[in-house]
Amino acid sequence: MSYKRPAEGYSRSQPSKRPRRDEDEYMEIQDEDDVIPPSPPEDNSLVPKSATINFSALTRKLAEAKRTEDFNAPDMSALEIHRMHQSKLVSHIFMDQDFSFMHLKPDHASRPLWISPEDGLIILEAFSPIAEQAQDFLTAISEPVSRPAFIHEYKLTSYSLYAAVSVGLQTEDIIEVLNRLSKVPVPEPIISHIRKCTETYGKVKLVLKHNKYFVESSHPELLQKLLRDPTIQDARVISIQADNSIKGNTFTTSKAPAKGNLIIPGTSKEGDKGSDVAKGRNNDADLFTSVVGVEGDEIEEDDDNVHSFEINDAKIDDVKKRCNELNCPMLEEYDFRNDTVNANLDIDLKPATVIRPYQETSLSKMFGNGRARSGIIVLPCGAGKTLVGITAACTIKKSCLVLCTSSVSVYQWRAQFLQWSNITDRQIAVFTADQKEKFAGDSGIVVSTYSMVANTHNRSHESKKMMEFLTSREWGFLLLDEVHVVPAAMFRRVVTTIKAHSKLGLTATLVREDDKIADLNYMIGPKLYEANWMDLAAKGHIANVQCAEVWCSMTPEFYHEYLREQSRKRALLYCMNPNKFQACQYLINYHEERGDKIIVFSDNVFALEAYAKKLGKPYIHGGTGQTERMRVLQHFQHDPAVSTIFLSKVGDTSIDLPEATCLIQISSHFGSRRQEAQRLGRILRAKRRNDEGFNAFFYSLVSKDTQEMFYSTKRQQFLIDQGYAFKVITSLDGQQDFPNLVYRTREEQIELLQSVLIANEADAEPGSDVRASEGDLAGTITSKDFGPTRFPAAQRTTSSLTSLSGAQHMSYIEQNKSMNKTLAKSAAGSINRHKLFQKRDKEKIAARKEAKKTAQ
Amino acid sequence: MRAIKGVLFTCDAAVKQILLTMNEQQSFIIEDLDDNHLVIKADDEFRVRRQLETELEKNTYSLE
Repeated sequence: MSYKRPAEGYSRSQPSKRPRRDEDEYMEIQDEDDVIPPSPPEDNSLVPKSATINFSALTRKLAEAKRTEDFNAPDMSALEIHRMHQSKLVSHIFMDQDFSFMHLKPDHASRPLWISPEDGLIILEAFSPIAEQAQDFLTAISEPVSRPAFIHEYKLTSYSLYAAVSVGLQTEDIIEVLNRLSKVPVPEPIISHIRKCTETYGKVKLVLKHNKYFVESSHPELLQKLLRDPTIQDARVISIQADNSIKGNTFTTSKAPAKGNLIIPGTSKEGDKGSDVAKGRNNDADLFTSVVGVEGDEIEEDDDNVHSFEINDAKIDDVKKRCNELNCPMLEEYDFRNDTVNANLDIDLKPATVIRPYQETSLSKMFGNGRARSGIIVLPCGAGKTLVGITAACTIKKSCLVLCTSSVSVYQWRAQFLQWSNITDRQIAVFTADQKEKFAGDSGIVVSTYSMVANTHNRSHESKKMMEFLTSREWGFLLLDEVHVVPAAMFRRVVTTIKAHSKLGLTATLVREDDKIADLNYMIGPKLYEANWMDLAAKGHIANVQCAEVWCSMTPEFYHEYLREQSRKRALLYCMNPNKFQACQYLINYHEERGDKIIVFSDNVFALEAYAKKLGKPYIHGGTGQTERMRVLQHFQHDPAVSTIFLSKVGDTSIDLPEATCLIQISSHFGSRRQEAQRLGRILRAKRRNDEGFNAFFYSLVSKDTQEMFYSTKRQQFLIDQGYAFKVITSLDGQQDFPNLVYRTREEQIELLQSVLIANEADAEPGSDVRASEGDLAGTITSKDFGPTRFPAAQRTTSSLTSLSGAQHMSYIEQNKSMNKTLAKSAAGSINRHKLFQKRDKEKIAARKEAKKTAQ
Repeated sequence: MRAIKGVLFTCDAAVKQILLTMNEQQSFIIEDLDDNHLVIKADDEFRVRRQLETELEKNTYSLE
């Protein structure tokens, strides 16, 4: 196909040649008349109104011109001409999304994917026989957008392409393979996008040397180009230099480090490291040989001079962002094996530690070429993110700083490090509000929270000293837990104050309700790996989950009040809907009979208590004391009679929950997708997951015709993108015939309504029971101490004498007792032991007395 | 007595409640028959339908 045509077509569509164009169209219409009756002329004018000249319109115009050209070509069969007419007839429906000009390849049925020429969206048929290979390839070069059962969406972005190149894929290979898999020839704009992204990649490096950042390149013209940019110029630190020669003025030139000298100590060390690995862990040998195997042979062909200039640490991410915009992203790789400046840390995984295959894959993306690349790894909750982080630290073997969201997880991380690796107690230090310690020796691990490090004002003397310690040294590895929750500003402070050679972000849900996710791309790095939830579930690493949304219609009385109330009370009304109560009771009963362990989540504390008391189940919320909480959890774990607990928001993250197999959600934090995923994570780690046909259940109870419907759908979006399907249940079979159904009569329902209406406005607030402690990020509920229990404040109300005297609806309320108290009683009272053991106890005591006597 | 042209409106319990609150602003209900049936003024039918539609649409989440 000649490339001249588009150019011709383009010139023809210029206004000056308008008449000719019209002629063409007129001809087409004439032809179409033979096929189908004519349609209105404006529908036929396929050329978009030239008033809007955007890029996509232009491509389309070109294609259009090309098509008319093809159309006039004499060597077309009648059938082809006919097809073309037909596609013209429908194309106006698709408006801007009309890509009918991209012709399918003759054997398109056997190729699994399709690429949009405009934004690089790739649509994959996941049911195709070669889908698995295609998926492997696509995850390497693009970012997954949505992965339900049959049709997957991926997106080609410049970041994903950089990641692809840094793993070692060649530009031409990418285009080749894409073309082989695609139903249509790879569109020209996409090819040029791929070329553009991949060509400049890796020419400029960001290097940390002696605690200062340098931009390094062996291509001086590229650095010149960067320096001409005002942002980068601004960030540059001009070192005082004696010579004012032209070169000195622009940037420092130094001899490239002679690789020979550096490699020799590195290799010898590498040798015994390798043997260590072989001895210790056979399972993950693959990963490490691939890491070790590279050995820096291909790295240094260019022994030219390396040019560099220093940049200000505070402006480091502005520069990174700018470089990405200028299409020469900075390579940020850490050649940790050849780093002789920073002391090595003697850390290894314990021999018994086994890494799962997907954890290995994710790590191989990070250490793909023997050097550590910065980026983000996304794994579902309960799939072992911590172990990935620890293994990464064990591979780099340099000083390591771990940042997490709260002080509770600080200790969890520390415990995990001690559990999985051979690090000693002295080498791992904790930096929180109440504990500030440094590690012994010149390398080690520090675990802290984001806010401790990012805090800028009023620090205690000790933490000031600790911060000085943190900022004064170079870190080999910065591990960032739950990266999605950290506010951008705080993050920037962390990233700029801490000098780290490589960074790894870990998260389960790379979504935010604001659009700040993209910022992470230049602050940490690209998404290195995102696990496919469905895949992990199929392989038994996480449980299979059946998700369902249960629609409960509002009773007329409740709905009437709902329509009259203001937003805050509204939430309480749709939580306390009697039909929801009944559905909840029915589901709990159904699953208890199946032998499931059930957790019921309610963000609203008022609703939580009402439900738990009415249904006679134990509950935990922020106001529950420590001992009571432990008792309830213990009973839930070990007592077969207690298989249901009610949890408020505290259960989202803070409590180390025992496993459950069924989850019911009665109220939630508005449209938070993250919370939904986090809660689902509670049942993903179920131990019974490997049993044949085992399913965990996730129910979300929603009151119909209320705002809850809106939030519920929004919340599900993330899980739907991961491939979960929510079944909608409009009525539970057999619910009405269920004996002891609560709130069956209208009177009871009205009573319930009354109690809701007199409830405090503050009770309607979700998550009112938890208070963040110092050092925790806003929005994470992880503190162990939930503050003093609330005392009801004095209240003044106006009402009629009849209501005050109790002559209105409610004259008498029967309060259900809290199950928690029953549990406490049974714990306090004598333990009911079996007769056999009682007898034995008696005998034991008698024997002891005997022994005493004889001793005397 | 003057005759009013009416339309029998069949709906579910929730929609009836919405209609009742709408009625408070601008009366159009002639007779409240039971949980699922109302008789409303024929002239207002179109307006009521449209208003109801927007009311129900508020609780629907759509992408974008």
